[in-house]
Amino acid sequence: MPVTFHIPGALREFTAGHSRVQIEHSPKTLAEALSALWTIYPGVRDRIATEQGQVREHINIFIGDENIRYTGGLASPVPSGCEILIVPAVSGG
Amino acid sequence: MIGQVLGHCRVVAKIGEGGMGVVYRAYDEVLHRDVALKVVKKDARLDTSSSERLLHEARASSSLSHPNICTIHEVGENEGELFIVMELVDGKSLRAMCADAGLPPESVLRYGVQIASALARAHDRGIIHRDLKTANIVVTADGLVKVLDFGLAKQVGSGVFDATTRSFASIQDASSMSGTLPYMAPEILRGEEADYRSDLWALGVVFYEAASGRLPFEGRTGFEISSAIMREVPNPLGPPIPPGLWSIIQRCLAKEPIQRYQRASEVQAALEAVQSAGIVSAGAGPDLNAPKTMILHGVRHAQVRKGDFLLLVGTTKGAFILRSNAQRSRWEVGGPYFHGQSVYAMAYDNRGGQHRIWASTASYWGTLLRSSDDFGKSWTNPQQAPIRFPSDAGVSLKNIWQIALGRPEEPNVLFCGVEPAALFETRDAGETWSLVQGLFDHPHRPRWMPGNGGLALHTIVLDPNDNQRMYVAISAGGVYRTNDGGLTWTPQNQGIRAMTMPEKYPVFGQCVHKIVMHPARPERLFLQSHWGLYRSDNCGENWRDIANGVPSDFGFAMITHPRNPDCVYILPVESDEFRCACDGRLRVYRTRNGGASWEPLSRGLPQKRAYETVLRDAMTADSLDPVGIYFGTRSGQLFGSRDEGRTWQKILEGLPSVVCVRNAVVGDASGGLRPTSPKVSARSHQTKSLSKSKTRRPKR
Repeated sequence: MPVTFHIPGALREFTAGHSRVQIEHSPKTLAEALSALWTIYPGVRDRIATEQGQVREHINIFIGDENIRYTGGLASPVPSGCEILIVPAVSGG
Repeated sequence: MIGQVLGHCRVVAKIGEGGMGVVYRAYDEVLHRDVALKVVKKDARLDTSSSERLLHEARASSSLSHPNICTIHEVGENEGELFIVMELVDGKSLRAMCADAGLPPESVLRYGVQIASALARAHDRGIIHRDLKTANIVVTADGLVKVLDFGLAKQVGSGVFDATTRSFASIQDASSMSGTLPYMAPEILRGEEADYRSDLWALGVVFYEAASGRLPFEGRTGFEISSAIMREVPNPLGPPIPPGLWSIIQRCLAKEPIQRYQRASEVQAALEAVQSAGIVSAGAGPDLNAPKTMILHGVRHAQVRKGDFLLLVGTTKGAFILRSNAQRSRWEVGGPYFHGQSVYAMAYDNRGGQHRIWASTASYWGTLLRSSDDFGKSWTNPQQAPIRFPSDAGVSLKNIWQIALGRPEEPNVLFCGVEPAALFETRDAGETWSLVQGLFDHPHRPRWMPGNGGLALHTIVLDPNDNQRMYVAISAGGVYRTNDGGLTWTPQNQGIRAMTMPEKYPVFGQCVHKIVMHPARPERLFLQSHWGLYRSDNCGENWRDIANGVPSDFGFAMITHPRNPDCVYILPVESDEFRCACDGRLRVYRTRNGGASWEPLSRGLPQKRAYETVLRDAMTADSLDPVGIYFGTRSGQLFGSRDEGRTWQKILEGLPSVVCVRNAVVGDASGGLRPTSPKVSARSHQTKSLSKSKTRRPKR
């Protein structure tokens, strides 16, 4: 089963307007899934991750309903067929 | 040779010839199979290195068993002749297949996965190919790829072949280098040891060639090819090449090994991801990898014409472009651009006849340097952040605090000061940026401390007369100067107090807020510190206090008059606890005698309950006559004076917090950031790039 990324509006200009992107080759971890995502859509990478490969401070990623900050970060397992949500965190002023 | 028997193989026909040996089709009379037989050339026989290379190939390759690697069956010697018996691969070389216009992307991906897989196996066994090229890759009729000629492979770590390969790799004699020039990685040309990532560079060259039929780095001579490999960026591959594949190729062709993929298996996985995404056949789609341009709809744009006067205003929630004419009395407002994003740095660059506005933007989604060539109607929106720390730097870009144009004689040079404190430079008008390593590697850097705004390099000052000399200011690190084009940096803080340190006059660590220089007197600098106003008359060697008659020597903003080198403007604030205009009275202070005395300029500025703060880059002076002075406040008010500060008017209010104000006269070669009148005698020699790899740094 492919996993599906939900792309926030701010990033859709880098995904040819797609709000959902499916990754077909069954990534095992979030890192693999993200790597596949920005192999297809390179412009997404620097918006989500720092140059050190970490998810940006004010970006949250959910695998299903779980925030990956509590499930192992980039090493979080990606169940077959799951949905991955990318959203900016609540912060700012 | 035809008809001879070597080992138990009878030579049938000659099928090829390479630099070291001749390849024959042969028949294994014991195992009854066709094989390839490689024999060291007769005329090369006395060259012991050829024999060693051949043995080397055999030993390395025979340890590899992989469907995409040509199998070595046997190594032997017959009457002093070295030969290798290997799998006979019946197919066409990738070079021949892609020679015209390149292969369809589907084929590049299909073959690419197999080549990467072969390399991954070799690398897992500690073997580097060192001569990967399309001529060494054969594709059989049923699409199976075979990587040939591990003849230059090196057994990493074993030491068995080290002496041999090292002698091949001597940079002194290009002909003795391993590999084939158009496929050689920059580090090999620099004389460094090849490693796995050098193969990944070659893999990128192979992919590029396979996809386009062209080499990414070409030239008429070896020198030209080498030069292109070292310095140039390959022409982009657009449709039908899918952006994902182009992205992979680009990453393989990163000049620094650390910026490439680190393992062939990563390349393989990336190729498979592009394959599985099924976008390969969507060739008619948009070129997703092209530099993005963002056209802002629903934003009011100023209609800018030649001769107009502009104010560029960066705020914590976006940027604005204000247009007026030389009268500077009526203003048309464009923006907000990048609404919701903080814009800490802006610059107008019209060197070389362009009209480019630069802006740094920071948001949840990262920090970008952008530019607009149409006064804000459209902006670049790069796929990859142009300013980025190397992946081994251990830090990530937070903000860009300063954009500084290079000297007029170098119109493609710009610098950016960033947070965490570091300096970046470009020498190709922003196409590529690199970290100024000499400053980043400074032993003081781990001991610089963040101020309230973060640990930022916020000020860049170039000496107009000495193109090897420049200054930067860091909060909180102090002033640093280079006299050698950025290779080495020295702290220049003698005489500057550090109120927040146990040692009041440390070598570094001062929280310097701004330094300014008048181009007509480049040896003299003025400095606004966290506490303290200073002047140096000797290029920052030492500083003396010039806080003579100001209500507070705490402040941020400081600018020079464009024509009078003795004239400096500041905007003092009360203290570091209460960073507001002293006594609630908004007053600019000016010295016209180099800091011997200061006078308040407040006519037209609010003098009651004006608890305003003006940040370090939120004040600017134009180059018109009389000079205009402009500043913005944290409360979002913008003030201006058309008479050098004698009287002031409010230009705009209700803006987000103002962090940056710059000005420009459209069509003015000064760019608004440099006064026009002083004569600057730039030295004739060209500056060097500041951001050098370790090999360019002088020996200590």
